[in-house]
Amino acid sequence: MSMRLPKQNGEWINRSKPVKFTFEGMSFEGFEGDTISSALWAGNEHILGRSFKYHRPRGVLSLANHDVNVMMTDTVDTNMRGDVVAVKAGMKLAAVNTEGGVKNDRNRYMDKLAKLLPVGFYYKAFHTPKSLFPFWENIIRKAAGLGVVNFNYPRILKRKTHRHCDLLVVGAGPAGLTAAIVAAQSGLEVVVADENAQAGGSLTYDRAGSPEPLSQLQELMAQVAQHPNITLITGAYAAGYYADHFVPIVRADGIVKVRARAVIVASGVFEQPPVFRNNDLPGVMLGSAAQRLIYRYAVKPFSSGVVVTANAHGYRVALDLLQAGIKVNAVVDLRADGESSALAAEVARKGVAIRKGSCVYEALPQSGNMGVRGVSVCAYDEKTAEADTANIETIECDGVAMCAGWAPAAALLYQAGTAMRYDGNVHQFVPERLPQGVFAAGKVNGVYKLEERMRDGARAVAEAMRHLGMDAPAVEVAAHSESSPSHPYPVVPHPNGKNFVDFDEDLQVKDFINAAKEGFDNIELMKRFTTVGMGPSQGKHSNMNAIRILARIRGVAPEKIGTTTARPFFHPTPIGHLGGRSFHPHRLTAMHAWHEAAGAVMSEGGVWVRPAYYAKPGMSAQDIVQDEAMSVRTAAGMIDASTLGKIEICGPDASHFLERFYTGSYGSQKVGEIRFALLLDEAGVVVDDGVAARIADDKFYVSTNTANAAAVYREMQRWLQKWQLNVWLINVTGAYAAMNLAGPNACRILSKLTSDDISEKALPASHFMEAKIAGVTARVLRVNFVADQAYEIHVPAPQARGVWEAIMEAGAQEGLRPFGTDAQRLLRLEMGNHLVSHDTDGLTNPFEIGAEWALRMGKPFFVGQRSLKIIAKRSVTKRLVPYVLDEGYSGEMPQECNLVINAAGEIKGRVTSIAYSRSAGRVIGFAYVDPADVAPGSRFQVRADSGAMVDATVVKTPFIKSSKGDQA
Amino acid sequence: MKLLKCPVNGVRPLSEFVFGGEVREMPDPNTCSDQEWAGYVHHRNGAPGMKKEWWYHGPSGTWFIAERDTMRDEVARTYLYGQEDKQ
Amino acid sequence: MTTARQQTPIAFAQQRLTPKMTVAHGMEIPLEFSSAEIEHKRKASLGICDVSCFPRFGVKGRNVVQWLKENKVEIPDPNSWVQQGDSLVLRLGNGEFLVEDQLEGKLCAALDGAVMPEAYGVYKIRRNDAALMLSGSHVRELFSEICAIDLRDGALLPGKLVMTQMAGISATVLRQKFNGEDVFRLWCDGTYSPYLWDTLLKIAEEFGGGAVGLSCHFKEMP
Repeated sequence: MSMRLPKQNGEWINRSKPVKFTFEGMSFEGFEGDTISSALWAGNEHILGRSFKYHRPRGVLSLANHDVNVMMTDTVDTNMRGDVVAVKAGMKLAAVNTEGGVKNDRNRYMDKLAKLLPVGFYYKAFHTPKSLFPFWENIIRKAAGLGVVNFNYPRILKRKTHRHCDLLVVGAGPAGLTAAIVAAQSGLEVVVADENAQAGGSLTYDRAGSPEPLSQLQELMAQVAQHPNITLITGAYAAGYYADHFVPIVRADGIVKVRARAVIVASGVFEQPPVFRNNDLPGVMLGSAAQRLIYRYAVKPFSSGVVVTANAHGYRVALDLLQAGIKVNAVVDLRADGESSALAAEVARKGVAIRKGSCVYEALPQSGNMGVRGVSVCAYDEKTAEADTANIETIECDGVAMCAGWAPAAALLYQAGTAMRYDGNVHQFVPERLPQGVFAAGKVNGVYKLEERMRDGARAVAEAMRHLGMDAPAVEVAAHSESSPSHPYPVVPHPNGKNFVDFDEDLQVKDFINAAKEGFDNIELMKRFTTVGMGPSQGKHSNMNAIRILARIRGVAPEKIGTTTARPFFHPTPIGHLGGRSFHPHRLTAMHAWHEAAGAVMSEGGVWVRPAYYAKPGMSAQDIVQDEAMSVRTAAGMIDASTLGKIEICGPDASHFLERFYTGSYGSQKVGEIRFALLLDEAGVVVDDGVAARIADDKFYVSTNTANAAAVYREMQRWLQKWQLNVWLINVTGAYAAMNLAGPNACRILSKLTSDDISEKALPASHFMEAKIAGVTARVLRVNFVADQAYEIHVPAPQARGVWEAIMEAGAQEGLRPFGTDAQRLLRLEMGNHLVSHDTDGLTNPFEIGAEWALRMGKPFFVGQRSLKIIAKRSVTKRLVPYVLDEGYSGEMPQECNLVINAAGEIKGRVTSIAYSRSAGRVIGFAYVDPADVAPGSRFQVRADSGAMVDATVVKTPFIKSSKGDQA
Repeated sequence: MKLLKCPVNGVRPLSEFVFGGEVREMPDPNTCSDQEWAGYVHHRNGAPGMKKEWWYHGPSGTWFIAERDTMRDEVARTYLYGQEDKQ
Repeated sequence: MTTARQQTPIAFAQQRLTPKMTVAHGMEIPLEFSSAEIEHKRKASLGICDVSCFPRFGVKGRNVVQWLKENKVEIPDPNSWVQQGDSLVLRLGNGEFLVEDQLEGKLCAALDGAVMPEAYGVYKIRRNDAALMLSGSHVRELFSEICAIDLRDGALLPGKLVMTQMAGISATVLRQKFNGEDVFRLWCDGTYSPYLWDTLLKIAEEFGGGAVGLSCHFKEMP
């Protein structure tokens, strides 16, 4: 039997495009434009999913993206919401939270256990003993679950784009569309976003049996089409509100990040279910859901129904049902006075019995709760919320439409910082104080009458224009004068419960009463204890009733209870959308292509990608690194050092600036000299080291550690502003490439490529000269960081690859080979050079690493100096020392960060560097030790990972034979 | 994402900026006590209110001062260091 | 013994496209990535052209404005640019200038050779820009994906330049007419440019665009 209606004007389905699919193994046919739920409902399939906790059958509830018990998997994707996801040809669908299928779910016994599973049950029952919790957790998670994550999910690019506009309107209902049109007429550039597949909001479904709303919608859409400065985006939800009018709009194909100058929230309201026993049966649905089925998808919600209502909307729904040829057996109105408007008269005229002051006491289930066979109706006192079952009677029906009121879709308003108040006129929270540039219009603003909603859209635009500094006329919106669209307490008690408040989490009225009894009577506490509003729909259909129930329990007004703020995202947003096209900025040196061709294995250092070592077939990385290091000791090696930070300090005050910025002395430095540059922060902590070459009277060329380049340059800029010196900083980190040619043959190799004298005599250690290397003007620095004979050659980046290749070629007969950062770390260790932020941490001061020699304490000022004067008065608690393990040591290798522990079992320090050095024939490293143990020959112990104590001996640096006397 | 106005480059999203901490006046290191100096270096006042903060616009390399109400997260004005009065 | 040849900073990213190369202003640069027909189609949609070979001259310092004026350079307002003959003069913020010679421009060579008297306190800035020319009907869509700021015509006015972030890295952007065509220009640090090139190209290809060589933008080769 098909539930499909004949063509409805304005329907969203395309009857010329049938869509075949399967659900739980059965074949179905819908139309293009159908959602999964509407297509199944048209095929007379009413069991669309199982509830989260009790595994009760569920069908259509809202058809507005909070039917969270109707979640599907198509074997690739999961947790697809049947009420909003469009059905596609060939889909193989199944409900997610079942064991053995939606009809015969083996977990349906949970419903019978409901009495044993009161609210808070899990918290109490499974916490002790702790050891059993993982066991219970496993069972609970399987039974109460959503879909299964597909780890083979294909990566489909979801674009994230930025969009700028004057005005963003959220919601394309009558208020939003009117706002867009009025704003566009004033020349504003407008973006309108609506989460529905088509624009129109309530005009697309709430018609009270009249053709009028549809023609109003067509008129509005014709006007929208006339304005090129309106961009209408449908099938797109505003996911959240972020500072300064930044609203990500999520669509199936990606995210548009809208930055507007003003935002109008015209997002409407969510219909709220009245609470009565079995209000969750398939066939019991919100009135607006029944309307959506009829007008959007031309599907009968049921054949013979009952409308339970507490507002005028129920009568509109009754008229829509009648228009669609559906039998309406009764309109049951909770209100003692019923509805006084003309709508009620019209419904009565059409022969529908209206029962004022009555309630649906319970919906009567078909076997297995698979549907509705009728409702029992009795008298109801809306003041006390008590049902009088004395004259209870049964009305047969196969469906119920529920209309008791609304809750504002105000998530964005809350996120933007709106203060809300409870308006007793409409029994709804409405904005009281809006943040700058944010406006609300339409039902979310408590305005219900259609023409007033449209006027409210125009009013919001006028206010937005004034916010934007434009003139705008005053627009008056009439106050609500009809019956309240929401009932203050549409809750019918029942001794046997199953009167659901939250369909996500299967929460019943008694759960709230129990929570309050246990003391969780604050909305935030109650939310967390009962989990109300914490399911996938985030309280869209449950929070308002929860507030009303809690207010009644505590005997206060709903306003006193307050509301919780729904955080972004407004609807669940796939991780793939958030990932988008991932950007991973990284820097490559000018020689990168050469390194790749030479088999380099790359590693990341800060934002740079550079060779760690150059792979050799059949050799382990460890052996390669030792070989690369050994070639520097015996012949020559070259490393790409382009990643070093490089900064030019220019100007008459250049040396003065360096004296204040670094710890050393630069005023006396001669052109051509290189000096160590140790940088402290104001607390005296070591943050960077490098060298400063004086290349002219008014010009220094300073290097920094790779990872610190940007931060050091930034700090230089900041201090320069404060000190107001005549200095100009030029960051040439990317403009110069650098290579470090090191080893006994280095000088000979380089000499082949230059006519300048670069010999040890002409260019001794710690000196600089400009030389033509392979025809390119280069800055040559003698920095003996990895070896005694080492040349840092800095050349303009565009020419660097040529120079690198020329040197490699010149060194081919001299045993020259490239080395990477792994060998570099070993080489510097052999030379006894510590690495800042490897051998130091965020608290290390210069005294702890033996860098007193680099401090010119007599200078008038340098950054960190004053703090050092204080630190110097205290005794040092640990010191960095070079150490070796015993010759031939073959036990467990200690790791960096293993602790140095003394005989009394006290922690005295830690290992910061450790490596086997083939040149030294020993395991060597740096460690922090007790200041009493720093003399060469002192022994200390390191506790390795297994707990084994390893002996180490303090030595002098360098670890290898070198011309280097002390630390330099 | 929040917007911030660089005095040289105009209004930009926060992602273009680096926060540089609160502006603190350095006491004279030659005359201040150890206590005063330690206070300058280590102590921060976390109480919300109108604060002067350093901000850095990365793409142009511009340091500037923002006066920001940390209670409301609203920036009252921004200006280049030492040009407070010129704005 | 002489290896003065220069490489575009984007060379690494371009090599897998095996472009036909040329040498312009001493720099090896892609001349063609594909046939003229394909490249012109790309250019109309979203073409990305490496023009890093254009000579550039950067300078800053206390009296830089005076020095430039004396060397007959027009001075634009802060964060603006002017075209002087076939050269662009960009003012980056207040005190830093970047001059780029296009086509017949000769300003950089002149400034490079000009004396910088110590008293002026001006300092030449060595640069390693990747310089790109972006053209076609989808450029704004590309920007909308990699840049958070408003680069619509109404926001990026003629004569204005913007220093911002593109795909997470710092870049300078402006609109100019080049050989009679509207193009966007983008400069960034060369060491980031292989990354940026790959990122831009991927997006461009999705819009039916792609890499175009120097020949695509020139009536005659420089």
